[in-house]
Amino acid sequence: MPIQFYFCLALVMFVCGICGVLFRRNIIFVLMGIELMLNGVNLVFVSGSTFLKNLDGQIMVFFIVTVAACEAAVGLAMVIALFRRYGTIATDFYRILRG
Amino acid sequence: MNELIVFGGLAGLITLCSVLVVSLANPVSAAVFLVIDLFLLGALYASQGADFVAAIQIIIYTGAILVLFLFVIMILNLDPQHLLLQRWRFLEKFSLALVVAGFAFIGFKMLEMPATSDRLANHPMSDNTQDLALMLFRNYLWPFEIVSMLILLAIIGSISIARKKKADF
Repeated sequence: MPIQFYFCLALVMFVCGICGVLFRRNIIFVLMGIELMLNGVNLVFVSGSTFLKNLDGQIMVFFIVTVAACEAAVGLAMVIALFRRYGTIATDFYRILRG
Repeated sequence: MNELIVFGGLAGLITLCSVLVVSLANPVSAAVFLVIDLFLLGALYASQGADFVAAIQIIIYTGAILVLFLFVIMILNLDPQHLLLQRWRFLEKFSLALVVAGFAFIGFKMLEMPATSDRLANHPMSDNTQDLALMLFRNYLWPFEIVSMLILLAIIGSISIARKKKADF
């Protein structure tokens, strides 16, 4: 199995995540897109670690999963707080910092 | 050959599920497809001999993070007006074209890499979990502790953000 196949699959997942972040107006879809991107990176780490027979990549996957869990928890808490305060989670609504 | 069939099936399903996750209108079905996607990714890790990472993937992602997503979607109780909002104007089309072109370039560059196929996924990584534990608690002990502090901060932060405040009412 060439490692390029795994990398191409990771690339496809990453592009799907980017499209979710860029083109959806629902914050929940933006968060799911970020999860997809992180999983694409994880796939690169695991296949690279198997390819090079070096376990450092799998350790990195632990840390990425941990950071993804923290990000999901804080992000979803923010979604709940924003929805409770303004009644919408459309990203176009939030332009407080736009000046 | 067998391995190629496994990879091809998993890769096709993962691609399909990833596209569905970002294109479906209903967040609940998107979250369910994200569960399937991450589960299949765990299967792909297991087929590469990374058993412990596969277990972690299934337990944490499909067991914890996605359940959190589903709970938030159900708590918010979005009406259909919120679900279908997505934008598709000139800027979005242009940036999609840019993203696809850039990543297609990266993909073609990647395909030009030397194909050394015999080294991948053909060796028994016995005691994968034991090796990982030794590495995590010897070489990576300090990052491990820092990450535990990060989790503690995330717990405190998310509770204090999502808590009901009197000023909101």
